[in-house]
Amino acid sequence: MAETSANRGPRPLEGVRVVDFSWIVAGPQCTRIMADLGADVIRVENESYLDSMRNGMQVYPDRPSLNGSGMFNNMSRNKRGVTANIWHPGGREMVERLIKTADAVLENFSAGAFERMGFGMDHLRELNPNIIYISISGFGHAGIDTTYITWGPTAQAVSGATVMSGFADMPPAGWGYSYLDHTAGYYGAIALLEGLYHRKRTGQGQYIDVAQCETGMMMGGVAMLDYQVNGREYVRQGNHMRWPATAPHSVYRCSGDDRWIAIACETDEQWEALCEVLNADDLASDPLFQTNLSRVQAQDQLDAAIEKYTRTWDTRELMYVLQAAGVPAGTAQTSEDKMEHDAQLRARDFYATADHPYLGVRRFEGLPLHLSATDWELRGGAPGFGEHTEQIMTELLGYTADEFAQLKAEIAV
Amino acid sequence: MSGPLNGVRILEIGDRGEAAGLLLAAAGADVIRVEMPGFGSTGRSQGPFVGDNPGPERSLHHAYFNVNKRGITLDPSTADGITLWRRLLERADVVIDSTGPGALDEFGAGYESFRPLWEDGKLIWACITPFGLTGPWKDWEVNDLIQIALGGPMMSTGYDDHEIAPIRPDGEHSLWMGGEFGAIGIIAALYERENSGLGQMVDCSIHESVSCTVEGAFPNWEYAQRLVQRQTGRHSSPARTAPWQFLAADGNYVNLMGGGIPRTRGNWKELMDWLDEFNAADNLREERYEAAVHSDPMVATEERAHIAEVIGKFVTSRPAEEIYRRGQGLHLPWAVIRRPEQNLDDPHWNARGFFSEVEVTGFDKKVKMPVAPYQFSETPHAITRRAPMLGEHNYEVYHGELGLDAMQLVALAGSGAI
Repeated sequence: MAETSANRGPRPLEGVRVVDFSWIVAGPQCTRIMADLGADVIRVENESYLDSMRNGMQVYPDRPSLNGSGMFNNMSRNKRGVTANIWHPGGREMVERLIKTADAVLENFSAGAFERMGFGMDHLRELNPNIIYISISGFGHAGIDTTYITWGPTAQAVSGATVMSGFADMPPAGWGYSYLDHTAGYYGAIALLEGLYHRKRTGQGQYIDVAQCETGMMMGGVAMLDYQVNGREYVRQGNHMRWPATAPHSVYRCSGDDRWIAIACETDEQWEALCEVLNADDLASDPLFQTNLSRVQAQDQLDAAIEKYTRTWDTRELMYVLQAAGVPAGTAQTSEDKMEHDAQLRARDFYATADHPYLGVRRFEGLPLHLSATDWELRGGAPGFGEHTEQIMTELLGYTADEFAQLKAEIAV
Repeated sequence: MSGPLNGVRILEIGDRGEAAGLLLAAAGADVIRVEMPGFGSTGRSQGPFVGDNPGPERSLHHAYFNVNKRGITLDPSTADGITLWRRLLERADVVIDSTGPGALDEFGAGYESFRPLWEDGKLIWACITPFGLTGPWKDWEVNDLIQIALGGPMMSTGYDDHEIAPIRPDGEHSLWMGGEFGAIGIIAALYERENSGLGQMVDCSIHESVSCTVEGAFPNWEYAQRLVQRQTGRHSSPARTAPWQFLAADGNYVNLMGGGIPRTRGNWKELMDWLDEFNAADNLREERYEAAVHSDPMVATEERAHIAEVIGKFVTSRPAEEIYRRGQGLHLPWAVIRRPEQNLDDPHWNARGFFSEVEVTGFDKKVKMPVAPYQFSETPHAITRRAPMLGEHNYEVYHGELGLDAMQLVALAGSGAI
């Protein structure tokens, strides 16, 4: 055992290198996970396909900078970054030398774009026979509608994620952000890790085609079965739960401006405890609300009756009192709640800090898991634009300082 | 079995790890769902049911989330159950344990009780729990509604009218997020084990998985102390933005990312021709409107507002699928808002072979299931098994692998150990 444990690195993906042509959210989310787990993720950037996240959400709007985006800092922490002009022979050669050192190449351009840039799977294999190439795109690279343009909301609309949110007699509420950009990144990480695991065991690389819309369809799997087996079309449920049908199961207004609490009773004991906490004898004794079946059948009346009581409570105080009484309840938390007042996230140091040369010491979202022997680590903020070009060329790729200076002068890198 | 995880043996116990188990089973791992004798997992009592006839072998929730897995029964609170559990653990690569912090250790069957197997041995013990194994909230009672509220997606999702409560999107997304990160932790540990020869513990928190899946809400607070406000069918934002979502003529909705204004003027003429087919272009052919397409989207102008108004009105006059197909034909990021089942016959997904055709217990035809949203060139997924019936593989596992004879199996079943 001692023999093998000597091979144990500090992090699970120690020694893995990912050449990262990602942009926007889905690709960077995937490589963020890889970098957190210890992979050497090197972003390859260029003004001609600039990641618009570098321009977005400027922390100092009066002095905008490619290094001034909080969103970019959060999405690309732990990574290194080079700039390269792949339309200049010298820049292209640098990228190809980088790919030769890599375990995997990732991109999330529109389908076909990377090939037009000269980096199809065949060429990647020529450069590095055992490479893993993973693409993340809206509709995938195989199929009919591969040229369709997707942003997160587009994929959410087509896949069914949008329609499954909101009240049946109102328009879809959808998702308040590009949920499927993140989900596509998570599935990209799963697929890439699986590819790396297979390669580790067999030496074989491969091509992995991830389609963002398909990641969204996973969450509609049960609805698809219900339609095929029972002929039932999907109907939105508001905040109620249809399967299983338990009540109360909703979101209730509390005191203050736009403050809410979610409450979900799954047993009669929890219902009785809820009535006791709210001091709601009239609800506890109302024959309409005596059993789960009767509560489900009178759910709109039930919700209105409960909200009369919750309106006077502070949401956080009510959450703690209900949880102490064994009732499933939780504040609808804002980012302020989570980052300043969430005792659980604080106890687990979920928002740890790291330094960024332009933005200073900032908090980051953690990776939501820990490994007991080889945990992930927050090492630093996102790379500045081209921050590691010289370092990677001279230390990793064997360029001399003069060669680097020459290529830089030619705007090849 | 084929797939990149071919040869990996996983035991899945508890009800919150189903998504992780599904993802790993679809990738070729041999996932054995371990259920309580008698009534099985909670998913079996969760509808919808085949023919709306409730029963443990007719749950479509179970039929979906347990595809490609095998199933055995085992009660870890019995002495015989723990003996079998130990033997199964010794043959496994991974445990997905979503029973809760310390829950199995009450019977001597949890991660503390079997610490040597993952601390000094090769086993990967992965816990997927609502809050992680530590912290003041670790034992709180929650379900998906509560997790989506606490984690943040809810306050970003809902309607323009804030008299209406914020919304939990349907689909048990917190369990998906936890399952996705659980799978990530597991495969990372498997990869690392190829180097070290050692297993370890993975502690995955659903609350944290949801909390890191909120996009702009996080940097808005960290960098600008701003809260985002929920809006109908579009991104939450610190300030109100224009609508993206419109009701099409056939009763389906469409999503016009960015309000329907093209991002480039490349297909402006074709777009105008399309509108003219239906006399819907209004005065948009005036030069100033084409010029406005290239103006800064963050700066509201009269021209941009008018383009959005005309296009918004146009899309309400046509069927949603037409808006989608013809819009995408002009390289516009326009989408039909489909119900999940409206994708089943889409030629594109079927050309990709996305849906797996799988049996459902109690139903006489195979059905299409979305199981693997990625395609591997060398290690393709093969979805070959329907979800297991309760204890379906007891004989195969306990007799075939552990060597128990018929008399032993009968005695174990009779005492409720399996």
